[in-house]
Amino acid sequence: MSRVSDYAFVNAKLRARIGMMHDRSLLDEMIKAPSLTEAAAKLDGTRHALLAEVYRSTGDLQQVELAILEEEIAAYREIERYLPDIPSRFISVLLEKVEGDNIKNAIRLWYSDAVRHHAISYRSSYIYKKRIVHGIDYDKVINASSYKEMAAAFRDTPYEDVLARFSSESLASTGLFPLEIELDHTWFRHLEEGIRDLSGSDRRIAEKIYSVDVDLKNILMIVRYSYSYHLRPEGLRHVMIPMGYIAGEARKTGALDAEDPMAILRSIVQRHYPQISEEIARIRRTADDLTTIDENNREIVLIEEYLSERRKKEYTRILAGNPFTIGVVLSYFFLRTTEDASIRAILSGKYYQWSEDKIREALGL
Amino acid sequence: MSMFTRKMRMLTAVVLESDRDEVVRSLLEKGVMEFVHIDSLPAEKMSKLSSHSSVVPKAVLSDMRVRIETLLKEGSLAIPELNADDAEAMSPIDADSCRRYLDKLSLSLQSIRDSQKAVNQQMNAAEELIRYSTDGRNSDYLDARVGINTHGSASDLRARLEQIGGIFLFDRKPFISLTLRRDSARVTDVMDKFGWTESTDPEAQRNAVAEATAEAKAIVEGCRARLAELSKEAQSRIREKADELIAMWKTVRLHELCEHVESFFSYTKNTTLFSGWVPADESDGIAKLIYSASSGRCIIEWTDADDVPREEVPVEMTSPRIFQPFERMVNNYGTPEYGSINPTPFTTVAYLCMFALMFADLGQGFILLLVGLAGKWLYKKNPTKPDGLISRYLCSLLIFLGPASMAGGLLFGSCFGFSLIPALWFNFDAVVEGEPVQGLINDIYDILGITIKFGIVIIYLGLLLNWVNLVRKKRFFELVFDKNGIVGGALYALGIWFAWGFVDSGYRTFPSSWFFAPALIACLVLVFIKCPVHFLILKVKGERTEGIGRLVIDTVMETLVEVLEIFSGLLSNTLSFMRVAGLGIAHASLMSAFYQMAAMPGNAAAQVLIMLLGNVLVIVLEGLSAGIQSLRLNYYEFFTKYFTGHGVAFEPVGLKSRIVAD
Repeated sequence: MSRVSDYAFVNAKLRARIGMMHDRSLLDEMIKAPSLTEAAAKLDGTRHALLAEVYRSTGDLQQVELAILEEEIAAYREIERYLPDIPSRFISVLLEKVEGDNIKNAIRLWYSDAVRHHAISYRSSYIYKKRIVHGIDYDKVINASSYKEMAAAFRDTPYEDVLARFSSESLASTGLFPLEIELDHTWFRHLEEGIRDLSGSDRRIAEKIYSVDVDLKNILMIVRYSYSYHLRPEGLRHVMIPMGYIAGEARKTGALDAEDPMAILRSIVQRHYPQISEEIARIRRTADDLTTIDENNREIVLIEEYLSERRKKEYTRILAGNPFTIGVVLSYFFLRTTEDASIRAILSGKYYQWSEDKIREALGL
Repeated sequence: MSMFTRKMRMLTAVVLESDRDEVVRSLLEKGVMEFVHIDSLPAEKMSKLSSHSSVVPKAVLSDMRVRIETLLKEGSLAIPELNADDAEAMSPIDADSCRRYLDKLSLSLQSIRDSQKAVNQQMNAAEELIRYSTDGRNSDYLDARVGINTHGSASDLRARLEQIGGIFLFDRKPFISLTLRRDSARVTDVMDKFGWTESTDPEAQRNAVAEATAEAKAIVEGCRARLAELSKEAQSRIREKADELIAMWKTVRLHELCEHVESFFSYTKNTTLFSGWVPADESDGIAKLIYSASSGRCIIEWTDADDVPREEVPVEMTSPRIFQPFERMVNNYGTPEYGSINPTPFTTVAYLCMFALMFADLGQGFILLLVGLAGKWLYKKNPTKPDGLISRYLCSLLIFLGPASMAGGLLFGSCFGFSLIPALWFNFDAVVEGEPVQGLINDIYDILGITIKFGIVIIYLGLLLNWVNLVRKKRFFELVFDKNGIVGGALYALGIWFAWGFVDSGYRTFPSSWFFAPALIACLVLVFIKCPVHFLILKVKGERTEGIGRLVIDTVMETLVEVLEIFSGLLSNTLSFMRVAGLGIAHASLMSAFYQMAAMPGNAAAQVLIMLLGNVLVIVLEGLSAGIQSLRLNYYEFFTKYFTGHGVAFEPVGLKSRIVAD
């Protein structure tokens, strides 16, 4: 099959859907709505009408969030079906990210109940329990009385090895952070393999998108965990995503072992990502005074905004380019998940009665 | 109906400040004026004018209106319409009190949603227990206990257990407690405090899970009913306030419209100035209206559209209501230039002819008509119903397309794919199937020929309309030299004559005639001299021109490109109409295929079913294709000849105007 026949249908379908995606006016109207009820009602008559209906019938925001997740998973599955084998497997890798987040949520519930001894009561209902990519018994995770029992729920999945590296005791002392980082890294490894399996322009596009993503995330990790949380070199090495240019350079230069890793990496970052060089230069490694932490956080937000802008530009460029590549699929998922995340954030903001400005700030608008 | 766009005049008026509100109200009631900002006065005069200052800013009013509309929709209430009485009874607005009222209503709705949330959580918790109990995992995840408390009160025990979550049957003895195993430690803790003693009755122990599950199911049912009840309560809470909300909406909307209109006004100390476009046939009425609203204390000046650059004059087409679906097609393409031909009637005829040729079937056309009428009726019955796959617009269109298809069916003798009726023109299905047919049309090539002739008529009609437009716009240079002008038309005519002669000779010889060579040369000369003539015109007008070198290059290049464009463009435009035959043939072939498939099983029921399914499939797929192709032919082959789409739509502000928001 040619690339045209591989992608013609999915390209036409997704472009039509992208065309029907909402502009900023829906989000603006939701932000302006004075209450959660009114904000949710704005979703009527849009592709998110089901969410408005869920809220109207349950009044439960977490139920709405579950509905968003269900729609998102259904969208991945649908697109998988339209693609030939290799790109379809790559979409499955992308869906593993959703699965990873779902696993984290389930383990958090288990942790809350079994380790912290807080009753989780009805909260388990908001976990997506059907199969996403791998056969995981989420009920078993949530109801496990021991770590061993919980880890057994992941038998014969790629997460089995990850869970085997931890124990009840280790989690009790360090919390879930190391486990969650390991789950993330597992996904990134799968992503790397998935990209490697793609061919030609598909691989080039995916590589370009995710290498920048990973690099900027690694920069943020170094800034956040080394400067704000003073993580030791071993810890820092552990949180860094083991792929991409920045991670490679950090290994090569031994930057993570240095007192000030960014001092070593600054010139590399400036050469590759000159757009954030000013933010990087402004970040200070000083004592834990609140002003410095606050200022550093501001720079982190700016770097995140840059990442988001860069993604947007990249996907816009892809949409204007060759239609018969995986690019249009990735663009669609980016736009879709961005819109879903914005809606989720606005509804949460309304629930917590945040001001319009605070919601806009959180959304980077 | 006018053949051309509606004639416009620009009104500029000065009224006393004290008469302003009355004038605004009257103009809103009339709803025929598109306001424009006054910016043509000299700077020193403009500096003496002050702009409008709002009591309540329009953005605030717009947000408030949107908020009321959201609440009305939440209560399944239709958004009202304004009428003259509402404008007459317009009251001052107290934005703060409106906001407070809406906040209060919103808060009360939120409290219902919060109650729903609590019920939903209770339901989720019970559902989890039911799930484990019914899918055979009760021993893994459930913790059933049967017993009694030996000290403390049972109600206290129950209250403490309910905080953990589970099903507790305490209205009988021994008590039953069904909780999740993950909560066992917490349950044991509580029970120990109340001296829980487990029952030794084996039957009670055996039945405990089933009894508790039945109770959980009852709780879930109760929760579901309560959720529906609360949902209705939220709706009825809005409906109870319907009158107030509608009255508030009207007040807010009226003030919003007034703010919108007044944002175009300018003021001196005692007077108000405003300006706007009005259809010429309404100008006397508007003048009288302003005189009457201001008790004659006003000055009105009129400017004719001819004195204003054409591109600044708003455009309105005055097609009869019946043509509305086709006017929308035209508007989707663009707005015609002011003073040009109204494309709607031509589009209507062309579209319907194309559709009738592509989808010619008496029976299927009747189905389309029925669907259109039924849809119209249903939407009329449920005015708040959102558009479905068969939208309101599609229903209006189907009411035209159905009869067009039926007319096509009568011409070609086709009814549900059968030749049930005698053809008024020729039997299309028989020709497609290669059966002997007597008359002028004998095979598929003859059908293709008909559609090409039809295309030529459409293209010439487009060119003719373009010439009329150019004459009205006094663009004589384009009229003569443009590829859609006379030279283009003449070259097209020569091409048609030449091609016809060639086809007539059985594709053996090219035709020859005394006029062909001189006419062709004359046309090519006209194409060649287009650039030099344009150069001369600019020179005479004293406008800036390029050098001679550039002129030579432009002349050579433009001649080549223009000749190529005229020939290839018009040729492809003409051949494009073969799709009309193509779709018609596909329609007949598909129906014939279903007819043959239906004959295969030799069973009457199967035959009917196959023909039924075949007809449905053909109506949906072919109907859609024919509709899209007709639109495409109109947009690309017809409109491109005479329709620039450079106009600006006339948008008068009135009580029934579309939403005005910044």
